Amino acid sequence: MMAWGAPIYLYLWLAGMAGGAYFAAFLAERFAGIVDRRLLRLATYLGIPLAVIGVMLLVADLGSPLRFWHLFTQFKVISPMSMGTWILFVWVAVAVIMVILWWIQSRLAGEVARSLRQITESLSWINVVLAVLLISYTGVLLAVSNQPLWASTALLPALFVASATSTGVAILIITALIANAISSGGLIELKLAINQLFGSTDWTIPNRIIGRLAEADVIVILVESVVLIGYAIWLGASGMAGAGEALGLLTAGALAVPFWIGVVLVALLIPLALEIANWGKEIERKAVWGAIMASSVCVVLGGLVLRAVITIGGQL
Amino acid sequence: MPKARLIDTSKCIACRACQVACKQWNELSAEHTTQRGTYENPPELSGNTWIKVEFRERPGEWLFRAHTCMHCTDASCEKVCPTRSISHQGEVVIIDQKRCIGCGYCIQSCPFHVPGKDEITGTARKCDFCIDRITDGYKPACASTCPTGAIQFGERADLIAAAHRRVQTLVAEYGYPNARVYGEDEMGGLHTVYILTDQPSVFGLPEAPQLAISNAVAQWVSGVITAGVLAALPLWLLFRRRKQIEAEQESRVEGGTR
Repeated sequence: MMAWGAPIYLYLWLAGMAGGAYFAAFLAERFAGIVDRRLLRLATYLGIPLAVIGVMLLVADLGSPLRFWHLFTQFKVISPMSMGTWILFVWVAVAVIMVILWWIQSRLAGEVARSLRQITESLSWINVVLAVLLISYTGVLLAVSNQPLWASTALLPALFVASATSTGVAILIITALIANAISSGGLIELKLAINQLFGSTDWTIPNRIIGRLAEADVIVILVESVVLIGYAIWLGASGMAGAGEALGLLTAGALAVPFWIGVVLVALLIPLALEIANWGKEIERKAVWGAIMASSVCVVLGGLVLRAVITIGGQL
Repeated sequence: MPKARLIDTSKCIACRACQVACKQWNELSAEHTTQRGTYENPPELSGNTWIKVEFRERPGEWLFRAHTCMHCTDASCEKVCPTRSISHQGEVVIIDQKRCIGCGYCIQSCPFHVPGKDEITGTARKCDFCIDRITDGYKPACASTCPTGAIQFGERADLIAAAHRRVQTLVAEYGYPNARVYGEDEMGGLHTVYILTDQPSVFGLPEAPQLAISNAVAQWVSGVITAGVLAALPLWLLFRRRKQIEAEQESRVEGGTR
């Protein structure tokens, strides 16, 4: 009987995407020297609901959901689940505080707004560290076990981190494309609602930044592909009993179809082909817009299949 | 002195009295099972089946092994449990039923696939060594009922010494060249020790069981390095370049206006 099913892999996927989007948005803005934090705010607004939905699934999947608070009575460094509980809790709490501070800032001016801004900036640093730990933890949780598919290599956390970053970037692209479409479209009420949320009318993401994100995702997907190949080789060569069989399950066994189609094709090869074909092209063109949207949707869905295949495969 | 249970596979006749006694004493409900073409039943340990006899057949020989909690000295389940619901009471590894939230982490971490989730209690459950019996000086139900002496209970040191003597007899007189004692040192010393008539893998036991958390540091490092280097690099390459290009463009524009 499988102890961990759909709620768990959905959770691993959602939490990874939340952390990955925040991590990518934070780094992109820092590296580019963008100071308006539009991308980071988008990632935070996205990340909170994604993480909260994930946690709700996780709690519902417990044998005794009403006892979930027992998790918060312990702080146990050697238990990845205990660490994950705290990482996720603090990340969401800090993210909520950041959102509140952003709201207040957008309605104030002068000295107070500046000092609030400094606090938010410091908090954003705390949360990028937690985001790294969060996306790592989704892999560590499975890897610290006695299931050969999860535990016989040291590359599962690396694979999940690469996938979390890739799906995080993809969900940023999808949301930014939709937001820009709303901004230029006729849905006045929706526009006003988003204005309220961001405290200003400046919430669209410039197309050239979306383009850069799409290009960055190409390299992240290449990294992910290399890690996946390394993971497979390591599994095959591992001395741990059952590791070879576990690899066979993915490549030629019960999970071969979702693995080759869902992971290799949808998560990696199709997005790579689409993004490389449209590298450097203008998103204003409908075909390019469609290709980048399609590729990002593939990345997000493929990321879910990856979590599902690994979670189920480890328990067969 | 720690107690232990010694299971001698050369003496087991697969009567499954241990399964029945365990169910009776611990008030464990029956399992819904289907005919799977084997006398072995139910298919695996669960929240309601804490010991079961595994059947393996090879030409001219049946191999029987009663599978149950090993009560490891270094117990993976205890280490990973996020609510500290699993603890040692002496040699016994116990899941606190009032504390367990049923997250299933112990199930994924046990090298012997012992704990199971009980849907009714919503907790993980497994053999508790009949702790209510042994604290009063009785043997666990399985050992008390075993009609052939295949399951014994007593001082661990005495049982291990007896096990080695039995293995010598099995090798020298009964033609089991691969006979051995299993559990003397595994996981820091098991408190369910086996006399096996062949290699552990033949009986479905891991040759070198691992503590689930033994690789934890490497796994965390793997994730954090990938994030910090491999996943950050693409963003640096593209967004760093954007900054430089814009700086160049700006200086060009400034140069042009001058």
